[in-house]
Amino acid sequence: MSELARILLVEDDPRDVELTMTALGEYNLANEVVVARDGEKALDYLYCRGEFSDRSGDNPAVMLLDLKLPKVDGLQVLQQIRSDERLKLVPVVVLTSSREEKDMVRSYKLGVNAYVVKPVDFHEFVNAIKELGVFWAIINEPPPGSVKKAP
Amino acid sequence: MTIHLAEGPTGVAMRRSLARWNLEVHGGRAPIRYGLSVVCVAVALGVALASQYYGVRDVELPLFELAIVVTTWYAGVGPSVLAVVLSAACYNYFFSEPLYSFEISNEDLPSFVLFTASAAIVAWFVAVRRRIESDLRHARDNLQVEVEQRKRREDEIRKLNNELAKRARDLETSNNELESFAYSVSHDLRAPLRHVVGYSELLQKQASSSLDEKSRRFMQTILESAKRMGNLIDDLLAFSRIGRAETKNTLVSLDQLVKDIVAEIGQDTKGRDIVWKIDPLPVCYGDRSMLRLVIFNLLSNAVKFTRMRAQAEIEIGCVDGEDEVEVFVRDNGAGFDMQYVDKLFGVFQRLHLPEEFEGTGIGLATVRRIIHRHGGNVRAEGGVDRGAIFYFSLPKAHDAAERTVDML
Repeated sequence: MSELARILLVEDDPRDVELTMTALGEYNLANEVVVARDGEKALDYLYCRGEFSDRSGDNPAVMLLDLKLPKVDGLQVLQQIRSDERLKLVPVVVLTSSREEKDMVRSYKLGVNAYVVKPVDFHEFVNAIKELGVFWAIINEPPPGSVKKAP
Repeated sequence: MTIHLAEGPTGVAMRRSLARWNLEVHGGRAPIRYGLSVVCVAVALGVALASQYYGVRDVELPLFELAIVVTTWYAGVGPSVLAVVLSAACYNYFFSEPLYSFEISNEDLPSFVLFTASAAIVAWFVAVRRRIESDLRHARDNLQVEVEQRKRREDEIRKLNNELAKRARDLETSNNELESFAYSVSHDLRAPLRHVVGYSELLQKQASSSLDEKSRRFMQTILESAKRMGNLIDDLLAFSRIGRAETKNTLVSLDQLVKDIVAEIGQDTKGRDIVWKIDPLPVCYGDRSMLRLVIFNLLSNAVKFTRMRAQAEIEIGCVDGEDEVEVFVRDNGAGFDMQYVDKLFGVFQRLHLPEEFEGTGIGLATVRRIIHRHGGNVRAEGGVDRGAIFYFSLPKAHDAAERTVDML
């Protein structure tokens, strides 16, 4: 697992992880990704604790966050990091199957940067992930304290 | 005579049973009533004579009058007259000169006449009073019956209310369940579907060179089916959302709505010869985006099912009713067999093969649901290969507001 990650992918389903990584791989972004399989792991990573206790303290350039997660769910993670002075600037993209207005509204209220519904169609899915990866990890200038772009 | 203490406070029960006794004597047999008259006068006479014997004089007059009052009160007019006559006779016989004879001396005549007159007046007053009293009692009894009936009705209403509240709670529970069901469909059903599509695509990419024609076709079918299922899920969710979404009712110009939609559809049907005939349409009261969906679904259906015509004709018009307006969309397309008309508006019901006309079969179900939510109705007419007419009715703008309120 990479110490320096530009993308933190929080996703419990291994198949979704694989498909996402495949899509990111097409732009050579796969080795920039750390995967957290539940909300607790994601918070561990961000707070450098548990198995991530000896990583350097930089924030990821973006966090791709699923909403339905074991233990701590996506909205709770979002709430937690938005109320933390050091983490509140981390760009967060919700990446979910849910098209429910309720989820969308709550995410935006908690200050999410983007809300993406995973398309069923594989090509659309790959395109969506690629564009997300390219935009947030390469085009977008992340807030100070994030992992620097590779030269 | 029974005293029903259980019926209420003791006083009320007592009054009631006394009243009943009164009525019983009053309405009782003549011998009892006239007997009461005789007994009363006899008792008065006895007491008067005894008083006289012990030297107390001039009490006979009030005593006889008391007897008359009691008789009149409890036994009615006939016995009262008897009591007056008997009292007069007793007075004459026992207390006016000459004693122990029915003769009346001239000097006692005025006092005898006075006695009889006063007795008659007292009897008359009491009789009148008695009638008023019994009328009042009657009114009170009626009132009591009414109060009891009202109480019973109130109880019934309260019971029904409770039942209604329970129904409402049940409904709310099942609504919540439905909502969470729709939510998990939206969230959990789509994930495996995405995986089926995703991995099939990956497999196709990986192995397409080593697959033969038949295997490639199988692969293609898997992909198409999964995509179709995705569409079905999306349509079903959209349909369930219509039922749950709040309506924002405003005045909607159907004219404008139709023009916009025809323009929008026109962009996708370039190269086709479609003759649109649009009659003037009224202003309705309803949810703009929902009514838009209704008209969009009906018009795009009309366009879809006239595909095989060299020249498609689609007409939109309305029949103005008294308090509702019926809008229709007529086409000269494939039509349908009238014996299946009931299936037309069902969810996922289709009357054509998917190779003939694409679609999931949710469009008309959506139309019906939206129109029902607006307090209107839908119907259809058609014939195989002779086109179809779809009607939907909407309350007119002026009374739509009230109807919508009634429905809440």
